[in-house]
Amino acid sequence: MIGFTVLGGYLGVGKTTLLNNILRNNLPSAEDGSSKRIALLINDFGDINIDAKLIQSQTDNQINLANGCVCCTLTDGFTNAVETLLEASPKPDHIIVEASGVADVNNLSQYGHSDELKLASIIVVADAETVREKAHDKYVAKTIQRQLRSADLILLNKVDLIDESEVDNLTAWLAELTEGVPVACSVKCHVPMSLIFDLESRGNSVNEEIHAHEHYDSWSFSTPQTATRAALETFMQKLDSHVLRCKGVIVDESGDQLTLQVVGNRKVIERQASDPGPDSLIDGAVGIELVAIGMAGALDTAKLDTMAQDLLNNSDLVAS
Amino acid sequence: MSITIYQAKKIITMNPSNPQGTHAAVRDGLILGVGSLSELEGWGEYELDTSFSDHIIVPGFVEAHAHVMAGGMMLLPYMGYFERKLADGSTAPGIKSYAELISALKEAEAKLTDPDEPLVAVGFDPIYFPGQPRLSRHELDQVSSTRPIYLQHASGHLATVNTPMLVSNGVTKEMQVEGLGRQEDGELDGELREPAAMGCCKTGNRIVQGINQTEQALRDFGALACNAGITTCTDLGGASLIAPKLLDRWQNITAEASFPLRIAQYNIPAMPGASAAFDQIADQFVALRKQESEKLRFPGIKFILDGSIQGFSALIDEPGYYSGEDHGQLLTVPEQFADWLRPFHRASINVHMHCNGNLTQQLAIDTVEKIVREDPWLDHRHTITHAQLTTQAQLRKMARLGLCANFFTNHLWYWGDQHYDITVGPERANSLEPCASALREGVSFSIHSDAGVTPLGSLHTMWCAVNRLTPSGRVLGEVEKISPYEALKAVTISGAYQLHLDHEVGSLEAGKKADFAVLQEDPLVVDPMSIRDIKVWGTVLAGTKHQAAG
Repeated sequence: MIGFTVLGGYLGVGKTTLLNNILRNNLPSAEDGSSKRIALLINDFGDINIDAKLIQSQTDNQINLANGCVCCTLTDGFTNAVETLLEASPKPDHIIVEASGVADVNNLSQYGHSDELKLASIIVVADAETVREKAHDKYVAKTIQRQLRSADLILLNKVDLIDESEVDNLTAWLAELTEGVPVACSVKCHVPMSLIFDLESRGNSVNEEIHAHEHYDSWSFSTPQTATRAALETFMQKLDSHVLRCKGVIVDESGDQLTLQVVGNRKVIERQASDPGPDSLIDGAVGIELVAIGMAGALDTAKLDTMAQDLLNNSDLVAS
Repeated sequence: MSITIYQAKKIITMNPSNPQGTHAAVRDGLILGVGSLSELEGWGEYELDTSFSDHIIVPGFVEAHAHVMAGGMMLLPYMGYFERKLADGSTAPGIKSYAELISALKEAEAKLTDPDEPLVAVGFDPIYFPGQPRLSRHELDQVSSTRPIYLQHASGHLATVNTPMLVSNGVTKEMQVEGLGRQEDGELDGELREPAAMGCCKTGNRIVQGINQTEQALRDFGALACNAGITTCTDLGGASLIAPKLLDRWQNITAEASFPLRIAQYNIPAMPGASAAFDQIADQFVALRKQESEKLRFPGIKFILDGSIQGFSALIDEPGYYSGEDHGQLLTVPEQFADWLRPFHRASINVHMHCNGNLTQQLAIDTVEKIVREDPWLDHRHTITHAQLTTQAQLRKMARLGLCANFFTNHLWYWGDQHYDITVGPERANSLEPCASALREGVSFSIHSDAGVTPLGSLHTMWCAVNRLTPSGRVLGEVEKISPYEALKAVTISGAYQLHLDHEVGSLEAGKKADFAVLQEDPLVVDPMSIRDIKVWGTVLAGTKHQAAG
């Protein structure tokens, strides 16, 4: 399945900056195979910065990069663009669609349930300076509010342009408006890539990335013990908005592998019995592995430790 | 260079300085003059054509907002609530109950020979079945439990399918696509809302999407127009700019002598919602114009700025919708719309803007004001199309800015009761399509069908503007009625004006195209309530007769 992310947010909030960051961060690691093959569906090429040396081929509507990434414009419409990508070989690992400033991101995200796609997340970028004003604009108030409420994760960008106290006010206001969609803060949309893409199965590389990022913090946990699905569900439900991103790979009581994927409010547990894939830990010594990301100072690692301990205890109860 | 003089009972020219006559002289497809026979004989040797001597000739109607989809719909069984005239002149009956729907679908099903071929039908509208359980796959399963069925709704935003259609496309209740309608028990009910869900049933959806691009759709579009007396018709939302193959098809078919229609195609410069390099598109458009031919013209560009009132997706201002949930949404970022419009305005390209909601319309008006200040092209004739909820303040401003309106008067009949009872409430329903106010404020306006949303038929569209009657017998806004003369003007010269074609078509004047609508009765004289019942003989296009089917 190909991961599908909808990137929403009003004009000028920083969506293109984020896309540029994604392309830059993902480059250039084509040869070692660690790079994700990302397809960006964007409105136009105008503002995208791609190093000319990395461009392998280019048409009016598509730029192919040497590392396997693809940028497509939405000139022929979204459906056509996705169909073209799915027909390509090799297929992308992850598709990010840049929604127009007034798009209904929830409607757009529905395509992420079709055919070969799997909806990974709806990320809505908000401009810390203007989001409140736009949420009351006579033309777009409802659209902006709908976008924010539909987000799995809000990226509150340009926080350097407002007072620190105002960041707290804004976060509280967003929490009320959206009934608790988690908010990640950023400057120039500089965020860890593991916030957007699938986290590596083992915590080390995530921790490395996060520790290099002053505004973010991570937490990880691993043990050879197994867990029950019920206990994992309890763990998942207890994750609240200080956890922006979480992934878990767990071997359950019957030896099947469960994957926990959390992007803000989107929380999913999947069973992977038949085809464990590259994330498989069944043969390894580890039975539970969890990684979480949050804002530095906000991520409550003590609480996560307790929750992880509960996960073990609850699983043991069933086992005994 | 032979001259034909057509004799009629009466010729209404819509040329104020020569309002009527009994004869029209035509040479090389152009009008030499309208008057009495003795006034025209001086042009030289002529052939007198008396075949219309019992008919009324008016300028060929100009439909300023229609889509080739009207032709495409002819190729699929019609399941709408109101009866509809077909291209061959026959009439498809209106479907008034689920029982009728099932039997009509059964009839269509019986005509299919390949057992695997999906049955795809169009035109169903649940808004006319209030108080009934929502149509579901179970009713359609009664038509066939083996053949996949896809029933597209009139709005184009929904479809209902049967169980085999779901199964054959692998659509299951486990799929999380939001627009998949569900029963209380979580099982799918067969309703598909919005493109993501509709696209899940590809084998049906693709047929609907593809049909409008077929040659037969174009030909049927021409036939329908001819049946209605229309000689110039927009395809307001064409894709020739982005699809060269379609352009070839249009060029080939309009070049045929038997094709009875001038097409004024307004291309959409980008898919709704997507931005694009509009300055480049303006250049491409200027190049496209060089490929114009006698019956294929590219007067301008169309932008779609919001949804529909009955779909609650038009953006309307306070106090908002009367009932139902407000899904009002712009399809452009307000700050960006000037950037969309500017390259076209600068290149003197006329722009028609789809605005159903008055708040959307306000954005369009304010943006045009901004653009006109920057670049004073005063004769732009940019048009707000649909313009259904236009306010008095907007009309005053539109008049000063030289903006035209194209009112969707057919809504008064097809959805007038729903607007009164459900969508916008009594006051705004009474002032829908404010033709009399536009006349008073000096806004040049046309009126339209938006075919295939409602049928092509300028006489019906006139009838709506003149009578403002709803199916339940209400008159919506007595004071907004206009006279039959003003309504005729709206579907002829004023339509041509907003397409920048008024120097060629839309009235019968020396030097203009010899395009006639040939009518059995005089629309300015008959009881206004029977305007829509006037029989259309057919048309004359550039001096060539085209008889209506049936």
